[in-house]
Amino acid sequence: MMPKLARSVDRTWLPLHSYNVRVCHWINVIAAGYLLLSGIHIFLDFPELYWGNTGYQGYPAIFKLSDWGLSWDEAGALGNRMWGRNYHFTFAWVFLINGLIYVGWSLRTGHVRARLWPGREELAPANLGENFRDHLRWREPKRAQATSYGVLQKISYLLLIFVFVPVMLLTGLAQSPAFTAAWPWLLDLFGGRQSARTLHSIGTVIFVVFVVVHILEVLLAGAVNRVRSMITGRFLVTGEEK
Amino acid sequence: MSANSNRMVRPRRVSRRRLLASVPALGGALATGCSDVFRPPVIRGGLIGAADVLTMSTSRWLLADQPLAREFERSDIAPDFPTWGQTNPSDEEYQRHLREGFRDWRLPVSGLVERPQSFSLNDIKQLPSRTQITAHVCEQGWSAIAEWTGAPLSQLLEAAGGVKPGARYVVLDTVDRWYESIDMFEVVHPQTILAYGLNGGELPVGNGAPLRLRVERQCGYKNLKFLKSIQVVDSIAAFGRGTGGLNSDFGFHWYGGV
Repeated sequence: MMPKLARSVDRTWLPLHSYNVRVCHWINVIAAGYLLLSGIHIFLDFPELYWGNTGYQGYPAIFKLSDWGLSWDEAGALGNRMWGRNYHFTFAWVFLINGLIYVGWSLRTGHVRARLWPGREELAPANLGENFRDHLRWREPKRAQATSYGVLQKISYLLLIFVFVPVMLLTGLAQSPAFTAAWPWLLDLFGGRQSARTLHSIGTVIFVVFVVVHILEVLLAGAVNRVRSMITGRFLVTGEEK
Repeated sequence: MSANSNRMVRPRRVSRRRLLASVPALGGALATGCSDVFRPPVIRGGLIGAADVLTMSTSRWLLADQPLAREFERSDIAPDFPTWGQTNPSDEEYQRHLREGFRDWRLPVSGLVERPQSFSLNDIKQLPSRTQITAHVCEQGWSAIAEWTGAPLSQLLEAAGGVKPGARYVVLDTVDRWYESIDMFEVVHPQTILAYGLNGGELPVGNGAPLRLRVERQCGYKNLKFLKSIQVVDSIAAFGRGTGGLNSDFGFHWYGGV
């Protein structure tokens, strides 16, 4: 039987997340958390969605929360739009400034290219297929992948940062009377103010799905080790994984 | 110091043209040392206050050339424009005016104007008018398009002799004891009108008859219905809890641009 001391020799700490990634990540958690909560408050205060430029109680809606068991008055009692608006717009700024620092730093240091941009061989259909099947079977990442992002992970992060976030920002601004006066093309881009609100709400659902999957992946890949690496920056690789 | 007190004694008249020339462009605002366009009259504490200033200054910077809010086609007009909030004030005097068709209803315009006076509804209808098909954007989340007809607020102030130096805000009171204020940047905008007509007809009671504010680049809560009086002031400190409006007294952002 192998003594415990010998086993600890095989423990290796590998640098995983840079200082910038860690700081931006946790600021982002707080900002996105407030954005989600305050956004839900704002939505509950008017729990219907429409398409086009027009939408009000009584106008044909494409989504009504009351069809899903929560009446207008019940939703209104849960949602506080004043609190929601105050915190939504406050943390939108925290989110935006933090995000700009992260993206600026990532582009400047080559973080995007080195860590996020998938290589050609990674994008090969066979590799994508295998990666996808591994995810469906909830298989742990292999040793070689433990300290780098998987190809699906890379694609998700890139879409999140460079497509999803800008769309959420613009669909948010497309609901503002001041910003649409300055940039009327926002209304054309999304097909109207209510369309933008609907897309913003669909985006919220997509975001919640992302967070759920993200947390599940962290749990699967070793919750303590993964969360610790996002705090201290170092990821523990033990002997038996070598 | 003496120049300052001299100005206090003999206020120099500022014509509308001068007002229009000095306020809309941010360059002008900066040159005159006027930071009003970038910040609310009272800045809240903490992170929320910082975000308020960022939001307001960013949108005002983007609106520096005073573009019009989008105007729509007749075919875009909502079939039945919502009547939200107060739809028929119980105020006795208001009910009398309503019964009499607002025959001797009057709107007092006071404060920092050269000739404080009150205007009848007919006086206001005689002023140059503007008709605009715009979207009402409620902070709750709904929006509806309607055609509004009214007198630009700047025309009304000009009819009262123009504003005096030091004028920074216009405070509007309503029959149901609501009040709000808007700054000069919004006052001089051509789409900022006192509306007496909706979709080609008279302004209905539910939508704020006889006169309501349309400030198209701000949310519904700034677009007061049932106007009672207008004051031009240099400070909003004396009104309500001193934040510049009943909504901001409650805890909403004074600037309703988002």
